[in-house]
Amino acid sequence: MSEAGAGNIDLTRPKIIGTSVKRVEDPRLLTGHGRFTDDVKLRGTLHVAFVRSDHAHARIDAIDTSAAAEMPGVVGVYSAAELDQMTSPVFATSKMKDYHATPVRALASGKARFAGEPVVAVVAESRYLAEDALALVDIDYAPLEALVDPELACDENAVKLYDDLPGNVLVSRSFGMGEAEAVLAAAPQTVSGRFRFHRKSPTALEPRAYLADYDQGSRALTLYASTQVPGIIRDCLVDVLDMPGSKLRVIAGDVGGGFGGKASLNPEEILVCALARHLGRPVKWTADRMEDLLSTSQSFDEIVDAELAVGEDGRFLALKADILGDVGAFSIYPWTAALEPMQVAGFLPGPYKIENFQANVRAVATNKAPMGPYRGVGRPISAFVLERLIDMAAKKIGMDPAEIRRRNFVREDEFPHKIGSGIVWDRSGFLDCLEQVIERADYDGLRRHRESARAEGRWFGIGLASYAELTGIGSRLSAAPGMPINTGTESATIQVDSSGAVTAHFGIASHGQGLETTLAQIVAEEMGVRLEDVEVVQGDTAAVAHSTGTYASRSAVIAGGAGTLTARTLRSKVIEAASHLLEADVKDIDFAESLISVRGTNKTMSLRELARAVYSQMGSLPAEVRAKVDLQASEFYDPHFGTTTCATHLAAVEVDPETYKVTIHTFVVSEDCGRVINPLIVDGQVHGGVAQGIGAALFEEVVYDETGQNISASLVDYVVPSAAEVPPMTVHHLDALAPSTLGGYRGMGEGGTIGAPAAIANALSDALGHLDVEISELPMTPERLFRVVEAAQAQKGE
Amino acid sequence: MKPPAFDYIAATSVEDAVAALARSEGEGKLIAGGQSLMPMLNFRLAGPAVLIDVGRIAGLDGIEETDEGLTVGALARHAALETSPGVAKHLPVLAEAMRHVAHLAIRNRGTIGGSLSHADPAAELPLMAVLLDAVLHITGPEESREVPAEEFFIGALTTDLEDEEMVTAVTFPYLPAGCGWGFEEVSRRSGDFALAAAAATLSFEGSVISEARLAVTGVDDLPLRISEAEEGLMGGELTEEKISAAAESVQASVNPNSDAQASADYRRHLIGVLTARVLRAAAARATGGGL
Repeated sequence: MSEAGAGNIDLTRPKIIGTSVKRVEDPRLLTGHGRFTDDVKLRGTLHVAFVRSDHAHARIDAIDTSAAAEMPGVVGVYSAAELDQMTSPVFATSKMKDYHATPVRALASGKARFAGEPVVAVVAESRYLAEDALALVDIDYAPLEALVDPELACDENAVKLYDDLPGNVLVSRSFGMGEAEAVLAAAPQTVSGRFRFHRKSPTALEPRAYLADYDQGSRALTLYASTQVPGIIRDCLVDVLDMPGSKLRVIAGDVGGGFGGKASLNPEEILVCALARHLGRPVKWTADRMEDLLSTSQSFDEIVDAELAVGEDGRFLALKADILGDVGAFSIYPWTAALEPMQVAGFLPGPYKIENFQANVRAVATNKAPMGPYRGVGRPISAFVLERLIDMAAKKIGMDPAEIRRRNFVREDEFPHKIGSGIVWDRSGFLDCLEQVIERADYDGLRRHRESARAEGRWFGIGLASYAELTGIGSRLSAAPGMPINTGTESATIQVDSSGAVTAHFGIASHGQGLETTLAQIVAEEMGVRLEDVEVVQGDTAAVAHSTGTYASRSAVIAGGAGTLTARTLRSKVIEAASHLLEADVKDIDFAESLISVRGTNKTMSLRELARAVYSQMGSLPAEVRAKVDLQASEFYDPHFGTTTCATHLAAVEVDPETYKVTIHTFVVSEDCGRVINPLIVDGQVHGGVAQGIGAALFEEVVYDETGQNISASLVDYVVPSAAEVPPMTVHHLDALAPSTLGGYRGMGEGGTIGAPAAIANALSDALGHLDVEISELPMTPERLFRVVEAAQAQKGE
Repeated sequence: MKPPAFDYIAATSVEDAVAALARSEGEGKLIAGGQSLMPMLNFRLAGPAVLIDVGRIAGLDGIEETDEGLTVGALARHAALETSPGVAKHLPVLAEAMRHVAHLAIRNRGTIGGSLSHADPAAELPLMAVLLDAVLHITGPEESREVPAEEFFIGALTTDLEDEEMVTAVTFPYLPAGCGWGFEEVSRRSGDFALAAAAATLSFEGSVISEARLAVTGVDDLPLRISEAEEGLMGGELTEEKISAAAESVQASVNPNSDAQASADYRRHLIGVLTARVLRAAAARATGGGL
């Protein structure tokens, strides 16, 4: 491992960072002792069931809740008429020009804008009774035309989702660098296509769940929430409910996955809080799978028309793209409707030098569930579009796909490099990842295998995909365009208590990534204590004064940085106290594995002994020293810009020429995430991300029919890959080019999902190369393969 | 996703169960493994007034070798068929088909009687019953009767079963000695319902096909035997021409649905491919015949 960027690490101490220590949360989670939101049982809890709109688009003319309200066991039945009195709507604002915010409300008010939108909430003594009462609620809808096709929704004559807005286009932006149009027009070679990435659901194992508990005595509200962003939710609810933050606490206990679907404010979070305060009893809602698939934010729904100009030598000359994002019924808080389609544009140039770039982006509202973040945000589409164009260009000029990439990567001596969308890449192993994949996957051997398979009439293909992304984004950049909240900093507070125990408080919210482990590794190593002596507190707004949460591949970098700084400060306090207690110079104090010693002597002291001396033994320290060595520290960290993470994925696939079933033969990832904190966890993150990327490439699609009904709202119909569909894969790491972030970490939670769809699309195109099929739509289901092959064969036959 | 309220009766015998069904006047539903019914209750697609639990009736889960064939009790689980030595010996195609039924956890719960009575048009067990000329044993309050599988299945989720009747067992006649078989299924994922599935058995006298059975599922409202294709296969070797003719005959006989997973065109295409594959596999497995 390279030590570059590792900073002030004492090389004499045992390494904890970089070690595959077992996850400290696993004994709890694997033995059923985790505490998820639905596990929180409070006396007197009431349960919510929703009447959800069965129309995609309808005016709500009248709501009659009287029969439901009279049912035994029902405590109250609420519609927007009541909730709008208890709460104020939330708007995801942005400094971006030509952006129109839309309200986020607890319940549909005046209009229902997607099938599945909550319209009426029934609160009852049990979920069973609440669901029984749903059938008794009578809603008079006046159906409106359902907008399902995003292109039709852009039409200025289309029916409008929001009467007070000029149209359905919520965001419209154009930007670029150089002269893309002119260069494309004069280019020796161009390739182009219309690329369609279909809508996905993040589909966490644990559906969303919220429990609000209002304490009448203290007039304080606690929201137990399955969320990635407790801090964002708390800071928003303070306004919605008009309560001080000191009376409002959001606790994300154990959370069973989020993938972005739990990274936004959701209407149900507002609702349970308002009703708990109104009723003076705990109010719980746990989504069932159907509700989760109907109403949790969805993603990746884009149409991209793109064109790439290439010289005869394979150099990329210009790239132009028109991106249309179907953002669904409202602009999600706090990320806005711009998040997903703008990221597609922002990351489209990828890790390559392309001097001329032009992107036109639109986000259009339709009658579907709102679009929000999902692992990779926009970048899976960017990589799919550009990596497909690159392979099409390579084929056109007769160059190997690996070689054309080699010729265009930003090289080591060219960092920092600003791409056409304005993003700046810091030093990262773009070329190194490609070369490592080529070597480790035995690219030449695979190509020989492909030739022999083809000789037997088998359809075998190899696909490469390289990408770069920005992670650990600091305060100088906005995680979503023009978003007014700061997502670039994190703080940590670490204390040694009077028993000598170390507790580290963070604002981030682990939801499966093992952050309790990785942050404990950082604190343990930086401070000089044993891993098992560090307790990490996270996922609780009471832990720190400000935090936003865990999303956007930020927590290891930013919270890790805050933990590093805080542990170092606290370490020097411990050493200073020890120098007085052990009567030695601070330079002679060693502090490792929770043991303090004086170098060259046999004087030692445990951290417990030191803590007792500091806290409990009066007179053990001079007053002026005691004031300085309070055994706690708080620091915050801001990486300012963030850092570049990159990878190359290689997929080899075989398509059954008769059934169109796709088998993934080989999957290899080489990625540069800087200094690896825990290889076991990093590999697991890549495996999970690739599994979701395979889902995006071959299986998963949220399907709305022409009337706007979601016909994929079960796990029978929304086809996530299971263990049998995810092949063995190998993951290789590069950490030779450490970034400037504290500790040398780069974020890596999302990358698997970014590279895999593009690599598989390229492999499928290669497998179908003899038919001149270019894959331009994902997921490439057997049905779609059947269609494209039939069409290609018909064309060849003509 | 909670079921509506219902009454619950734990039946102690078949007589007890059918009497309870009769008393419920069409508002009762039998439950055993619950692998299809529970989701329907939770989605509120079914709302029976009373659930009659037959899961505790003793002696209904046997797999017995009889003179007529292998008689399987209604409460035998899919997993029991999958691993039964008797099935492996006499009806290996059935063991193979069982491996395609959902996932192990579901096969450990789901019962044979439940799957046959539910009659899902893409399920493997009804396909096997039709292919293997199985006979269903049915008991009602007044009398018991036996119904051939092909007459039992009437449509999607629709059978010959009266409201107050219960399937108690199914008898699969043994395959003739030397008979070859094939089973092929395409589904989106391992364990999903079939987009299309086909199964065949072939017996040969020398190189001449003396008996051919061919059945398909997932491509119509119910599992189908394709008798026209079977007749075309008889009386000669299995040739590529015969295989193509059988596949075309199957494609012409079925009436597949289009849904979000697959179009009717793709399902029809698939069933042709799978027909050819199961015929080749059956011929390859048969002793004394084949391509």
